[in-house]
Amino acid sequence: MAKSKVYIASAGLTKIGDHWGKSLPDLAVEASRMALKGAPRVKPQQILVGNMFSAIGAGQEHLGALLASALGLSGIPAFKVEAACSSGGSAFNLGYSLVKCGAIDSALVVGVEKMRDLEPEEVSQALSMAESAEYTQFVGATFAALNGLLARYYMEQMNVSRDELSSIPVIDHANAVTAEHAQFRKAITADVVSRSSMIADPLRLFDCAPVGDGAAAVLLVNEKAASGARKAMTEVLGGQVSTAEFSLYERDDMLDFKATRHAFRGAMQRAGLSPKKLDLLEVHDAFSVVGALSLEAMGFSKKGMGARDAKEGKYSRGSDLPINTFGGLKARGHPVGATGMYQIVEAHMQLTDRAGENQVEGARYAATQNIGGVDSTSAVHVFGRAS
Amino acid sequence: MTIQSWRLRDRYYRLLGSKCEDCGDEFFPPVYRCRGCGSERVKDKQMPQTGKIITYTKLHETLPGFEAQAPFFLALVRLENGAKVLTQLVDSPDELVKTGAKVRATVRRARVDGESGQITYGYKFIVAS
Repeated sequence: MAKSKVYIASAGLTKIGDHWGKSLPDLAVEASRMALKGAPRVKPQQILVGNMFSAIGAGQEHLGALLASALGLSGIPAFKVEAACSSGGSAFNLGYSLVKCGAIDSALVVGVEKMRDLEPEEVSQALSMAESAEYTQFVGATFAALNGLLARYYMEQMNVSRDELSSIPVIDHANAVTAEHAQFRKAITADVVSRSSMIADPLRLFDCAPVGDGAAAVLLVNEKAASGARKAMTEVLGGQVSTAEFSLYERDDMLDFKATRHAFRGAMQRAGLSPKKLDLLEVHDAFSVVGALSLEAMGFSKKGMGARDAKEGKYSRGSDLPINTFGGLKARGHPVGATGMYQIVEAHMQLTDRAGENQVEGARYAATQNIGGVDSTSAVHVFGRAS
Repeated sequence: MTIQSWRLRDRYYRLLGSKCEDCGDEFFPPVYRCRGCGSERVKDKQMPQTGKIITYTKLHETLPGFEAQAPFFLALVRLENGAKVLTQLVDSPDELVKTGAKVRATVRRARVDGESGQITYGYKFIVAS
């Protein structure tokens, strides 16, 4: 790859939740405009839109040209990138790769999802499309059910208790209290998680990320285009997208999140950074068990210890490696195709001292991990404070 | 879904999976390429009809088309040849559904599709009491 450094020049996001009065294009445009206004002299040369189910959710495809036109940027290439819940992280990876290799000087990357217009069973159907239509949807498996299977297996194989499993949602909710864009700004206890309604035994309501609408965007620039940016920037140090055997039943070891393991290792190698240097980590905890297995796959916890370590405070605010500093998927919210971009904007906020009460003091390095399917795709990126 | 399930009827009715002609590994769902040794010499092979539960969950909220069956158990089953099948459990009382329980395959109504109500059939498993 070429030597040019790549920066996030500016970013934008909407609050996550019920945007009854706004459409999918409204949300995408809102976040994009915020990102573009942050660096008004930079003209993006390409648009990448991360989105999972605009077709089933809004009857709309062709989001690339739609957004380019809505932003007055017609003429430039524009694409929708779909990789289930890792659509945002995957779109970012493409934008980053194009700028890094010198194909373009700047790119606008947007993640957007509109979930609240759908009935709950329609959301389930849309999410189930992240898995095999022929053998997973066919047997009536919702996405929560697959994660329920995984959670039981994890708890039985690794002797993980209910309270330990609850610890990551508890961290998320604690961090979201002071996060303005978070969907649920309320602290909870492990007891609240274990008494919430059953979704897919043993997973309960508070093990699962909520349904919400939202959009998040960044403007990526190389060193040349960066001269047109004016505010503090974040350097993208490295990134990788990896895939694993598509379905749980195709894997030798269901508890090994191989896509995340490979993506994390690759991203850190490209960044030339030891994982010990990270000051914060945004983890894809769509379900409590997924957060725990992700922390294990990235090597921060030993096998079977992710949830236990979280309970013992290893990932809480004020620890050496705080996770999900604005509430993670569980409390900040999980508008699926946009989630990866929220994580990246949050890393950017932390590394440019814009995180307000959620600021990790002196944070220099951050990583984000964004999963599609049950770790069928994983997009990991590493960021540093621009010097 | 209707044409798709017609096309896959041998998979759904008979648990037709794959066997690698080079290393002998067997798979369900069928594969294009052996996940064990990488060989593309894979052939159709009917799977054994018995196995054990690896893990399971009970669904109360289902996908559209499955409402009438709710609540139901979904299980990951390891067949006797080592292949894994994601399946519904039927005719299996709660107290028998456990990790490690023995199960056998059967064919049942899988779902009723759309407004025309076309019925799709397929494999499900029963806990052997």
